[in-house]
Amino acid sequence: MVRVSLDETVGEPAPFDPFELQDTVTGDIRDPYPRMADLRRQSAVHFGNIDFIGSDDPEPPLVSEVPVPVSVFGHDEVVCALRDDRTYSSTVYEGIMGVVMGPTILQMDAPRHKVQRALVSPAFRSRILERWETELVRSVVDDLIDAFAARGRADLVRELNFGFPVQVIARILGLPMVDYPKFQEWTIGLISVASNWDRAMAASEELRVYLTAVIGQRRRQPADDLISDLVVAEIEGERLSDEEILAFLRLLLPAGVETTYRATGNLLFGLLQHPEQLEALRNDRALFPQAFEESLRWEPPVTVILRKTLKDAVLGGVPIPANSDVGLFLGAANRDDRRYADPDTFDMFRQAQQHVGFGFGVHMCLGMHLARMEARVAVNAILDRLDDIRFDPDADDDPHIHGMAFRSPTSLPVCFSPR
Amino acid sequence: MVQERLPDERIDTLSLQILIDRDTCMGSGNCVFWAPGTFDLGDDGISVVLEPAEGEERQMFLAQEGCPTRAISLWRDGVEVTSP
Repeated sequence: MVRVSLDETVGEPAPFDPFELQDTVTGDIRDPYPRMADLRRQSAVHFGNIDFIGSDDPEPPLVSEVPVPVSVFGHDEVVCALRDDRTYSSTVYEGIMGVVMGPTILQMDAPRHKVQRALVSPAFRSRILERWETELVRSVVDDLIDAFAARGRADLVRELNFGFPVQVIARILGLPMVDYPKFQEWTIGLISVASNWDRAMAASEELRVYLTAVIGQRRRQPADDLISDLVVAEIEGERLSDEEILAFLRLLLPAGVETTYRATGNLLFGLLQHPEQLEALRNDRALFPQAFEESLRWEPPVTVILRKTLKDAVLGGVPIPANSDVGLFLGAANRDDRRYADPDTFDMFRQAQQHVGFGFGVHMCLGMHLARMEARVAVNAILDRLDDIRFDPDADDDPHIHGMAFRSPTSLPVCFSPR
Repeated sequence: MVQERLPDERIDTLSLQILIDRDTCMGSGNCVFWAPGTFDLGDDGISVVLEPAEGEERQMFLAQEGCPTRAISLWRDGVEVTSP
């Protein structure tokens, strides 16, 4: 008989396990793409809630908590909407992420968006990021690999991917290493807002207190970090308010942590599933950009972004009324067979084509150059140090990419020649 | 259907003119990623055209197509051309 002890509620809390929270964020959906392809064949634009599990499955849809009256599955239609930011407004995020993050660039339209983006974007240019590549990212990744290189097997999701982006973004912001585990917990708390309101609000408040103190400290005593840059950033007389800096930092943690670890995982999953492509990349690292871009096309870490129509619109020939919430399915757009041959296949040798894995339009991922660099450094370190790496045939696991709004592998159990 | 592969011999004969709309450019840097020999970001964060790099025509089309704000246009003989 199981006796529930009251001590459990007053004793030491269980250690934070980020993976315990994952399913609440992602939804445990293994492959939404066949359903999206079916829907797209009917029409690139759909009205009403979509059941992504399929009508033959008795389970209720897991994404229905956020109503998405209009869903767009076609590539050209998604690109068209993302480029027309005067019609398809980002203010829809005010009531979602804005609640826990504050007024971020995620939810702004022109003209304020353009000013804010210009204020924060210099720190994310590829040339500025070069200094972090050797000074920071490679050393963070090497430290993590050191912990398991001699073992001959590892789960790269838990032991590498989940650990390095948070350390990178925290160092760029200038936050002390001792606080890193908290960032990961707060990050997952923030993005759980649709499924766990209390956890999201608690994370938001803890971050506000923590970051407000740091911002004040940097105003008094600037350091060599992004927060110090933000407090003095000025373009044509425009500056960021403390509230805007705080909001931006609360956006950066999830944006810089969640997406990069997922994207790196999806790339490694594609490569491990296709050993001939992994081998080709091992032998010619100049192939990395096309490998990563292909993984972002095949399995983007963020599969859907939202907009609200400010006026009546027509998309793909379909009229959309003003004030509609519009879900733009990046993942479906990236697998539109009107644009990509054999779209469900991970093939880093396909002829390069644009994708919307980083979104598109004025809100296109601010951190894309950082993500590209981080993933490159991590994969290069793996290929440099873990010889003969492959999926571990003895692992008691069923690794697969899962999730709905966010997608990444459940695990990456690998074995390799120990050194 | 997917776009056709552009025959290499045709690429070599293309003489493209690249225009950047400085008011539209958001400085994403995506053009520099796709065609690093052709594009760079200026000190103001706005894209600039370097000497169009020899043999980088396909990448120029990728950069044009990949510009998130459609600030890049490619022209030949006074006519705008898009990704073949």
